Amino acid sequence: MSIPLVDLLGLSGGLFALGIFGIITRRNFILLLISVEIVMNAAILNFLAFAYYPPAPGLGGVTGQSVAVVLVGLAATEVAVGLAIVLALNRLRGTINVAEAIQLKL
Amino acid sequence: MTGIPPMAYLPEGFVLASTLLVFLADALGAQRRRVFGGISTLLLLGAFLLVLADLRVYPLAALATLPASLVGGPASGPIVFTSLGLIFQGLFLGVALLVALGSLSEGELDPGAAIFYGLLGLATLGMLLVAISADLIFLLLSIEVSTLSTYVLVGYVRRDSRGLEASMKFYIIGALSTAISFFGASLLYGAYGTTSLAAFAFPPAGGLGNLALVGFGLLMVGLGFKLTLVPFHMWAVDVYDGASPPVSALLSAGSKKMGLFAFFAVFIAVVHVFNATEGYALLVALGGLAVVTMTVGNLQALQQHNMKRLLAYSSISQAGYLLLGIAVATPAALSGATLLAVAHVLMKGGAFLVVGAATAAGVGVTIEEYRGLGRRLPVTALSFAILLLSLAGIPLTLGFVGKFYVFGAAVEAGGWFIFLAVAGLLNSALSVFYYGRILRIMYMADAPGEGPEPTREAPPTLGISSTRGVANAPPPRGGVLRAEIRTIGVARWGVILGCAVLTIAFGIYPTPLIHAFNAAAEQFLRLGY
Repeated sequence: MSIPLVDLLGLSGGLFALGIFGIITRRNFILLLISVEIVMNAAILNFLAFAYYPPAPGLGGVTGQSVAVVLVGLAATEVAVGLAIVLALNRLRGTINVAEAIQLKL
Repeated sequence: MTGIPPMAYLPEGFVLASTLLVFLADALGAQRRRVFGGISTLLLLGAFLLVLADLRVYPLAALATLPASLVGGPASGPIVFTSLGLIFQGLFLGVALLVALGSLSEGELDPGAAIFYGLLGLATLGMLLVAISADLIFLLLSIEVSTLSTYVLVGYVRRDSRGLEASMKFYIIGALSTAISFFGASLLYGAYGTTSLAAFAFPPAGGLGNLALVGFGLLMVGLGFKLTLVPFHMWAVDVYDGASPPVSALLSAGSKKMGLFAFFAVFIAVVHVFNATEGYALLVALGGLAVVTMTVGNLQALQQHNMKRLLAYSSISQAGYLLLGIAVATPAALSGATLLAVAHVLMKGGAFLVVGAATAAGVGVTIEEYRGLGRRLPVTALSFAILLLSLAGIPLTLGFVGKFYVFGAAVEAGGWFIFLAVAGLLNSALSVFYYGRILRIMYMADAPGEGPEPTREAPPTLGISSTRGVANAPPPRGGVLRAEIRTIGVARWGVILGCAVLTIAFGIYPTPLIHAFNAAAEQFLRLGY
């Protein structure tokens, strides 16, 4: 009936790896944002999974679920700031490619 | 949550009010920097005095008994007041005050002034909340409040594409570190069944499993980005370089101390558990990170030609000394690290403001252009020299006292910590080279094309300076000193001088600080949090 904990952790671990891989390889700011969000969602999934399967009876439960809700809000806030930076960058430099926007060096 | 009177949150309320009032004044049509800066400075000063009063009224011994009901395990609330937390709150407010005062001298009609002062308050609020958090999620969210404000602070100057690029890099790394921290926190929640920091001081049921180890490791990475530990430090140099000097001062002196306190709160208690169980590998990782951080920071600083980048690398190496205190994790080490943190606030905050002052006086970005600064801006250059000597750890400065206590605690702890202390000492010696080079350039070399006229005023050139009324001031009539104050602004001049004076004063007589920090550190460790 319910999904076992190992499956949930496997999924969140996969999402985490995918997100980190995306952050390392992508050069488009929007895609970077999406990659960061994927890592964030892996964390949210973990909180929900552990809220459902606490390490000991009586622990967990409502904490994990409420943290998950808060994290969804936090992720949205972060994206709002990120998109504002992308917009300003695009207006000033005409590109959202991170690799092309390099001025700061030795 | 019983036991904390609402009045205890007054400093946080003041800081929040400073943000809201600045934005309100902006909405009502205020335009002058003096208005925003005045509101912000007054309220921050009020909060600072309140925190100092808290520290005095509730003596440290009394505070030690207060949280017993609060740190009662998972059931306690997300907030706990500790003496060490209050000391760090004072530190954060000191940084905010220093930055607010120091940037009063920037352009009077700068359209970004409201954004700057408003977000300064918000960033400070996040730091204050970090210092009183007793719950991992609350801690990470507070860090986020502060970090989200600083992303914007770095790049708020509309037409400045360097600042924007710094903001972009800061954002990517910051968002990544946040996500990694929360992923680590979720694993810890899975291992412990709670997110209360107090619970982490005891191994979870069934021992410190892999889940908890990976969780702590990821948290170390995520918070390591904030503290600019070495494999995760690359962003810091670009960001400090691209941001305006007051914002760099806030990031280096304030945000980094926030990361330090987060490390304290998460790892100090756990270190004992690590020592006893299979978590020893993580302890070695902490010590190794400390040594690598100070060494790489110093070696990179040796090769820099740009003043801000040099200061950024030296700031990274200082993070290594601070982390050393956490790795040793005795009360003496903790109190030494706190002392070093105070020193670092004065030194780095002051140094970045000096860079801002030099920019206002028409000095460029490279170290070579500081040639002859000792003659053009005598007091500023002397203060800068004192701050640099303190950074290098020369005796009679607070930087020396801080390092002395951290290294002394490491030697006292014995074992392999002695190697950490030796590595720290060697690094201090290494850092003298690049700080000494700046001193030599400032004092020994003549200013370009200035040979025999020692009191020449800074050239009122440079396109950017034209908007800053101060740089265009008429030629000076008084002495060099008056010319200097007119060039860089009286508030900034006073703050820089104040940093240098405090560095020396506490360097000669650190006893009150040490007593207070020892008591606070012991209480912090006794709480098991």
